[in-house]
Amino acid sequence: MSTQVVELRKVTKKIRSKTIIDDISFNVYTGEVFGFLGPNGAGKTTTIRMIVGLMEMSSGDIVINGKSIKTDFEDAVRHVGAIVENPEMYKFMSGYKNLVHYSRMYKGISKEKIDEVVKLVGLEGRINEKVKTYSLGMRQRLGIAQSLLHDPKVLILDEPTNGLDPAGIREIRDYIRKLAKERDMAVIVSSHLLSEMEMMCDRIGIIQHGKLKDVQLIEDFVGTQSQVYKIEISNADQIVAKMRASFSAWEIELVNQDLLINCKKEDIPEIIKWCVEEGVAVYGAAKAARTLEDRFLEVTSDKKGEPANV
Amino acid sequence: MFNLIRNEWMKLFSRPATYVMTGLIVLAVIAATVITLFISSLGEEQSDNWQSQLQAENAQLEQTIENGEEWFAGQDPEEQLAINQYALDNNIPPNDMNTVWTYLENSTFLISIIGLFAIIVASGIVAGEFSWGTIKLLMIRPIARWKILLSKFITVGAFGLFLVAITAVLSVILGFIFFDPGSSVRLVFEDGQIVEKSMAAYIVRVYLFNSIDVIMLTTMAFMISAVFRSSSLAIGISLFLLFVGGTATGFIAVYYDWAKYSLFANTNLSLYEMNMPLVEGMTMQFSIIMILIYFSVFMTLAFTIFTKRDIAS
Repeated sequence: MSTQVVELRKVTKKIRSKTIIDDISFNVYTGEVFGFLGPNGAGKTTTIRMIVGLMEMSSGDIVINGKSIKTDFEDAVRHVGAIVENPEMYKFMSGYKNLVHYSRMYKGISKEKIDEVVKLVGLEGRINEKVKTYSLGMRQRLGIAQSLLHDPKVLILDEPTNGLDPAGIREIRDYIRKLAKERDMAVIVSSHLLSEMEMMCDRIGIIQHGKLKDVQLIEDFVGTQSQVYKIEISNADQIVAKMRASFSAWEIELVNQDLLINCKKEDIPEIIKWCVEEGVAVYGAAKAARTLEDRFLEVTSDKKGEPANV
Repeated sequence: MFNLIRNEWMKLFSRPATYVMTGLIVLAVIAATVITLFISSLGEEQSDNWQSQLQAENAQLEQTIENGEEWFAGQDPEEQLAINQYALDNNIPPNDMNTVWTYLENSTFLISIIGLFAIIVASGIVAGEFSWGTIKLLMIRPIARWKILLSKFITVGAFGLFLVAITAVLSVILGFIFFDPGSSVRLVFEDGQIVEKSMAAYIVRVYLFNSIDVIMLTTMAFMISAVFRSSSLAIGISLFLLFVGGTATGFIAVYYDWAKYSLFANTNLSLYEMNMPLVEGMTMQFSIIMILIYFSVFMTLAFTIFTKRDIAS
């Protein structure tokens, strides 16, 4: 079903003697949204710039639809639509003229096609107004419109939800999922917003200090651990040792005077009963969601081997 | 490539500054007309009788020759005398201040204004994309970078020609409305005899010669714009050189021979027509070769650096 359209092979970027991107390899397939996640300055944008040919790589290769961006730039980049950082447009021209401008740089983009993408991103009402009158959300949508003009196989969006309000973020997110599923596009999205990624992506690659730390399916990524419950009790630090002795089957951790217990839902009443019998006041018991954020911190944590903060 | 140039043209003409420049050119042509009309009104009595005037000038010329004095403007008095005599004999009135030809000849400063605007456009056309941030979306298209840069260079040239066309059409129209048609024949002393030449061809040549330095400076501005991504640097350096380059080179040339290798020592080809090379021993071929060398250096710098560069930030 899905075929590989983007392939990074041992990509390295050095600026003078400093290694910005260190030996990154991964593949992206059609119909999937690939999240490229990392803190600011980790090398997300640099990697994206190399994929679209704005920057040269020091070694390695990037192959798009079977063509190398290095040796076959024009044929490789033909299949790529992208927004790199902010969607900067010619502010002194109308949205429509901006699209005409980019459409002239491909073969055979009709007026109808331009109208179609304008409709797709919902800019019909304002498309003939100058871009300087647009809100950030509208610019972002115009940016997506220009990236879709030539029906690319690969869509690359660098921080697509940056600076948008919640409604705008949701809109873009639904939109990206739709494009990947309905048009069988490979979408690469970069972000430092973890919650965003979790809702948007099928697979995720974590980059830090220019190195690719991990690539996983989002479900695997988030849901590998069994559920953790947080129990708020009094004198947790004094009681924890006794509790561990009583319930040796579960991992019990003490974090900020709260207990984090790795157990099943059905076990909760038993724990509470035990606490009451021991004369410990129970203030609350709740599911502690193990989110992408936790995993992210875990993966990118510099102190290796140490248990994560959950 | 045609589509790329159309794109550049569209971007150029979507900005108010372009219309301001076009408007200023129209104003400059009108100003040139008004000034020439004013000056010619000061010397009105001249045009009554050109025959008697030429005869008077000839008398003066003869005296100058007798005394072995210098005639003004470095001309050979004997040649001038022969030309005047030829004009009298063949009834060809010389073109005075009231004719279209003199008006056109005196309007060459318009070239500098066009050059100024061409430099401004050349300075912004590459640097602007960087400062707007649009360069990123421009360079991720299936088009080689050198084609994008070439389309921009061609657009600068086309814009220059566009201003030249406006200036030429408007000048000729205003010229024929406000000035006498004059004589379309230009008398030249060549190889010991008088030759009748086309006045129009002469005017075109004067304008071409005057265009060389602004073309070279526009190319340089374009190069700086592409290499340093800074339009203010490009405008600053180019305009500075446009205004002082020629004069400074003239000063240096008085003391040092190497001045002949500088760009501005070679852009004024009309010096060779007048037999007054800036530095002894310079020839027109030498200057043309120097101009071509400078041009290729500017272009090579612009294209190699622009096509190789990483586009960051």
